[in-house]
Amino acid sequence: MKYMLLMFGSQQDYDALTGSPAPGKPAWSPQEAAAMGAFMGSFSQDLAESGELVDARGLTAPVHARRLRLESGVPVVTDGPYPETEEVLAGYWIIECDSFDRATEIASRLADCPGPEYVRGVAKVDVRPIAESRDELEL
Amino acid sequence: MPGTGTEDLLRQLAPQVLGAVVRRYGHFGTAEDAVQEALLAAATQWPEQGIPASPRGWLITVASRRLTDLLRSEQARRQRESTVASWALPDQWLAPAADDPPTGADDTLILLFMCCHPALSAASQIALTLRAVGGLTTAEIARAFLVPEPAMTRRISRAKQAIAASGIPFTLPKPPDRAERLSAVLHVLYLIFTEGYAATSGPSLQRGELTAEAIRLARIAHGLLPDDSEVTGLLALMLLTDARRPARTGPHGELIPMAEQDRGRWNAACIAEGVALITGALPHGPTGPYQLQAAIAALHGEALSADATDWPQILALYELLMQISDNPVVALNHAVAVAMVHGPAAGLALLGELAGDERLAGGHRLPTVRAHLLEMAGDQAAARESYLAAARRAGSIPQQRYLNTRAARLADSQST
Repeated sequence: MKYMLLMFGSQQDYDALTGSPAPGKPAWSPQEAAAMGAFMGSFSQDLAESGELVDARGLTAPVHARRLRLESGVPVVTDGPYPETEEVLAGYWIIECDSFDRATEIASRLADCPGPEYVRGVAKVDVRPIAESRDELEL
Repeated sequence: MPGTGTEDLLRQLAPQVLGAVVRRYGHFGTAEDAVQEALLAAATQWPEQGIPASPRGWLITVASRRLTDLLRSEQARRQRESTVASWALPDQWLAPAADDPPTGADDTLILLFMCCHPALSAASQIALTLRAVGGLTTAEIARAFLVPEPAMTRRISRAKQAIAASGIPFTLPKPPDRAERLSAVLHVLYLIFTEGYAATSGPSLQRGELTAEAIRLARIAHGLLPDDSEVTGLLALMLLTDARRPARTGPHGELIPMAEQDRGRWNAACIAEGVALITGALPHGPTGPYQLQAAIAALHGEALSADATDWPQILALYELLMQISDNPVVALNHAVAVAMVHGPAAGLALLGELAGDERLAGGHRLPTVRAHLLEMAGDQAAARESYLAAARRAGSIPQQRYLNTRAARLADSQST
């Protein structure tokens, strides 16, 4: 069974992580950023070694996003569509494991991820079962 | 502009890095600023800290980070002004892509096409090409064109806005437009060259850096499109013309006409390369204006003395050029070739027909040629008047001095 672990962050979170403070979000120190990077690396490495990792990706800063929508039937592109405080998908893992509980157990290890207290205080990760087929979606 | 090893490397990588960043993130205008900042960072850090293992990768990484920062500031400004950066998807994006997937080498070519987009004025095309493809700073471009830096900054930023507004995707022009767009690119490179070769204003006749930069860009274009005979023709024309540069001015910066130049000072290696290029290109056709001009320059370059010049052959080439080009300067040169083959009276008769051409009106070229032909015909008084009239209209100081000197020489020979 496949599950997706989703992490979220706003542009301001990205700013703070890369050293630019935002209101209420002091900049991470280089040591803090490096510690988080190392933790994420070993988290994914452990999953690869246990054979449960399918894919892991981080997304670039939300400011790079483009949104397409239809305006009177014509596709219109908006560059940088997110307000800087809006939390959007920042990265994900796709894992393959035996159960939802096992996926949750894996996700819970992310609680050990180091970071500034204000980040750890509100950190979250979502676990979503991935549909195995269109039937499962009842389409 | 020719400089250290680091500088040469940076200039060579500049379009590749910009291509990679625009391909990845879009935002041509902002990305171009980000790449300039990355180049600047490299120019200061590399000489001290050493060139990184992957210079291109280093520049792309730094430019991408800088792009994020710049987009963040733009976003913050937009939110203050509550404007939204939205744009309609261009029609061409909705059609299925017929082209082969692009390669990294195409990026420089795509950038050349973008910078020479028909929505831009020639001045903007030139400035943007020198920055985005040439990797020059705005300050360097402003200096080369004797324009205040803030004016050049505005010109470049307007050009980028026009490109953004045109919504052109980062891809090569579609085949039906390709020839026309390429001819715009070649025209821009040619203008950069001529601006350097015959400065239209200011105290210095030749701004060699611009000619060197035009040749460098033409070499890049030739490397990307080796089978296009007009690209080859343009590169050959530049090399053959630039070969005469060392002999073209005297010790005090005074202009020396080709007939009086010391041909020993011509750059033999440049002539040999230009002749080889044009000789290779001509049989492959179609024969366009750059190849014809290069062939003419090659005949001049191969003549061991002014008297040995193959004027009948040059005249034949000008006649072909006249058929495909409506350029009055070509018509003037054609009149000179006619005079050299059939005598000055025949040349002067042709000049009479050009007198009404608005594009020559007020310029120094027509009276200059008339003065030379009158002098050839032995009409010294009329030649002197015409040299003086040309001097009054010439824009550059060396040109004025040359024309006044010719006039004075005729006055001296009359009085003795």
